[in-house]
Amino acid sequence: MTDGAACAVTDLLSEARSGDRAAFAGLVRRHQRAVYSLALRMLWDQHKAEDLAQDVFMQLYRKLAHMQSDAHVASWLRKVTTHLAIDRLRQEPRYELVPLEADPGVPAEPAGGDPLLQRRLRALLAQLPPPARAVLLLRYQEDLDPVEIASTLDMPVNTVKSHLKRSLSSLREQLGEGFESAAAPEGGPIT
Amino acid sequence: MKVRPRIPVLVLASLALLPVARAADGQLTLPDFKELEGKASESVNITLDSSLIALATRFLDAGKPNDAAVRQAIGGVRGIYVRNFTFDTNFAYPKEEVDQVRKQLSLPDWQPLVHVHSQKDHNDVDIYVCIEQGKASGLAIIASEPRQFTIVNIVGSIDLQKLHALEGSFGIPKVSLEDKK
Amino acid sequence: MTIDLEKQLRDALRPAAPPEGFAERIAARIEAVRLRRRRLSPPFVWVPAALAASLVLGFVALHQWELRREQQQGLQARRELIEALRVTGEKLDLAYRGVSDASRPANPDDAGT
Repeated sequence: MTDGAACAVTDLLSEARSGDRAAFAGLVRRHQRAVYSLALRMLWDQHKAEDLAQDVFMQLYRKLAHMQSDAHVASWLRKVTTHLAIDRLRQEPRYELVPLEADPGVPAEPAGGDPLLQRRLRALLAQLPPPARAVLLLRYQEDLDPVEIASTLDMPVNTVKSHLKRSLSSLREQLGEGFESAAAPEGGPIT
Repeated sequence: MKVRPRIPVLVLASLALLPVARAADGQLTLPDFKELEGKASESVNITLDSSLIALATRFLDAGKPNDAAVRQAIGGVRGIYVRNFTFDTNFAYPKEEVDQVRKQLSLPDWQPLVHVHSQKDHNDVDIYVCIEQGKASGLAIIASEPRQFTIVNIVGSIDLQKLHALEGSFGIPKVSLEDKK
Repeated sequence: MTIDLEKQLRDALRPAAPPEGFAERIAARIEAVRLRRRRLSPPFVWVPAALAASLVLGFVALHQWELRREQQQGLQARRELIEALRVTGEKLDLAYRGVSDASRPANPDDAGT
């Protein structure tokens, strides 16, 4: 982010803190994709995800005075979203199955590549236990490292690493041969 | 009857409560078992992570001996996951979902403790323990019976001697190592 | 062909856009909250005693509801814990019986020989 852009964001936060509704709306638009995507891929339901995301931003509105920077807002939003999502998943009936045919989590700006594979990955992610799901989302959607994930989820770092290791291994098993991690490159470059 | 205890069963009791390693392995990634659940007449699905165990513990009455014993048995437990399916008829389990779990148990951290196969009763019970840095961090039980299939995964360490002490309470069966005549 | 799973995950998990009008709906909720607060805060500092009492009762009822909900959740968790231990004990029993049966001699006459 350039200095100018950073200043603009800081102004947005301070104006929102002083009651400027347009500035708060700007904050919402700035962070809405991240919050909504986290909620959606945790809950796998568009309506529930929007409800949760709205609740998160309403909480942000009430806590604006405590926000120190845009980075603080972003990390606070991630934390509240994941914790709320895990709480809501705990309250749901245990036998609710993931409707794998529907994929509500299609990216707004697809990266290219194999859309069927990506859809399958999202569906497999939705089958993981909520804590493991949250760890993977924070790692691969939000690009956090294990220490940051541990802080976001109030979880020991080793637990985060275990979830990553087990979940990636499980995904590889379910997807079949040919999948490797960049951390352990084998077989040469992708052709 | 084929029995291949890797470690004598009495050692199970002595593995009762080893200090829990800081790492949180010992937890299996369980599939949703859609196919098994679709065929089952009854199913039990229990997922208790550390916060739910803490919540449950608050509602155990320390003044009642049974509740106090439960507290002691689960003192080192950080998660309990049970998937249990009952069928109306003898059922051949689809391998794929069960194999997803068995593959995890073939990783180096998981060591088989007991494998019991009964040709007479057509039962199979496998018990594994997860060892990290010389300490038990998880227990897994896979039990296949003609009309029931069960997976239990306990994360952390459960005091099997204290669990033994709960026999006859809460419907927990009596576990005896003596010959039955 | 080797496929990089982590790269595929990153691609699959690029952010999804919220439904149209999302930010506007939040703005509308905030506005509704502001209006409610304004109605509850008349120009005069004076608050009718009945309104104050019903606010207090409302908080008390909410607190009671939260306590009841926590109790229900706790009792449910306790039930599930005990059921989990019951199933665990049952399957350990199955294993113990299997080992015990196997260690018994097949022919009682062979015992001790």
